[in-house]
Amino acid sequence: MTVKKTYKEINERIKKGEAVVVSAEEIIPIVEKKGIEKATEEVDVVTTGTFGPMCSSGAIINFGHSDPPIRMQKVWLNDVEAYAGLAAVDVYLGATQLSESKGMAYGGAHVIEDLISGKKIKLKAISQGTDCYPRREIETYITKESINQAILFNPRNSYQNYNVAVNTSHRKIYTYMGILLPEMGNANYSTSGQLSPLLNDPKFMTIGIGTRIFLGGAQGYIVWEGTQFYPQLLKTEGGKRIYKGGTLAVIGNLKEMSPDFIRAAFFKGYGVSLLIGIGVPIPILNSEIMKYVAVKDEDIYTEIVDYSFPRLKKPSLGWVNYKQLREGMINIRGKDIPTSPLSSYAKAREIALKLKAEILKGNFLLQEPIQKLPKKGEFKPLLEIR
Amino acid sequence: MLKKKVIFTFSSENVEKPVTYQLIKKYDLWVNILQAKFKPNLGGKLVLELKGSKPQIKEGLDFVRQLGVKVEFLEQEVIWDEKKCVDCGACVAICSTGVISLDKITYKLKFDYEKCIVCGNCVEACPLGAIKVTF
Repeated sequence: MTVKKTYKEINERIKKGEAVVVSAEEIIPIVEKKGIEKATEEVDVVTTGTFGPMCSSGAIINFGHSDPPIRMQKVWLNDVEAYAGLAAVDVYLGATQLSESKGMAYGGAHVIEDLISGKKIKLKAISQGTDCYPRREIETYITKESINQAILFNPRNSYQNYNVAVNTSHRKIYTYMGILLPEMGNANYSTSGQLSPLLNDPKFMTIGIGTRIFLGGAQGYIVWEGTQFYPQLLKTEGGKRIYKGGTLAVIGNLKEMSPDFIRAAFFKGYGVSLLIGIGVPIPILNSEIMKYVAVKDEDIYTEIVDYSFPRLKKPSLGWVNYKQLREGMINIRGKDIPTSPLSSYAKAREIALKLKAEILKGNFLLQEPIQKLPKKGEFKPLLEIR
Repeated sequence: MLKKKVIFTFSSENVEKPVTYQLIKKYDLWVNILQAKFKPNLGGKLVLELKGSKPQIKEGLDFVRQLGVKVEFLEQEVIWDEKKCVDCGACVAICSTGVISLDKITYKLKFDYEKCIVCGNCVEACPLGAIKVTF
């Protein structure tokens, strides 16, 4: 008998305090011991988590109107420019935008973290002035309490899988994958592997538009496929199927988030990014879904890429799995290379367990997607047309 | 036998003193120079690993202090702000002497200060600015 469950049944069990919820790590020994069918019968939800740099992020902010009013045409928050081409007092603050006075050490991500932490942010805006919005400049301070909305809206988060970065050149390089030492002195990777949301539902059987998620410490939603979405099977390696290009666009109330789960990051020589904590609950509707959430680090492969090659297509140096990466040393072309994650596995685990606790308490119900994400995506290069 | 890592800070007055020589010759200490930064006539810093008996190290360091050289122990020089840290691990592989590792069970960072030579790699690799080195 194959077990089938619905979202409604699972939510009923959550409300009654009867649901069985485990993390994507905890499910592994359960499936090993009991098998897929029995585990599917017993477990209702598996929680995932990730906490890493997600550059394609930012916040929509509405400041409220001053008197006399201004139609803000250029806006800076702590000297970081926010895009103001939206009505009068709405802006979009990008996480990677750099400060005009502090340069690379401070950026949009830091403004977002400071705002969440309740700090005062300096707002400067200029305008040409109109009959209805006569004011031409304003300088004041805002806090998360003083503004109308602060909405985190990230066009591309939670990358399904990501490269391992190495550097075969003779000089140290500074990249978004961290500092890479010459002669393959280190290897950096950035995925929570067996805990990662999109590696636990690689075919998007449950994750879709409308899915309620843990986002930066608050409840948020998946609103679309992420930009550069490419969900197709990439290739097979060591008998394993490799999915790599799934991404999510997510939204949530910044005011409810916590600096424990959303933090500014600065990569020397590259710039600023935002570390975001995301957790996605996966309802165990059937055994096929269970088969995917039981995935282990040793079954998930990723490609080693030479970042010293400054072109779009970079040379591949082979494939490696997350068990090898997490053990701290990999071997490339006969050389032992120490590995470093850029995404925090400890935090990913904390998020998966926090989400589990929230579901068990009945504070977090599962939302069935109102629409599936597309089956196919395109990853087009930008051509230079003259 | 005791092992200690120390930082000597020299001023323009005592920069010419043959401190290392005396520590070896007079106090019979095993001396390993980890880092040295000097500007002629202005002063400088020396990071050393000293090996010897407890009284030997104490007497040797007393001698250095008497010359007006500031003596600090290395543990105090690498500051890891655990509150700022998110345990990502970006500092692990770049660490030149294996000081920093991720615990295999908790995946939280661990610092083995004994091995540190204050190279500063971790400082520039940390995306949170959670590690500081005063050397």
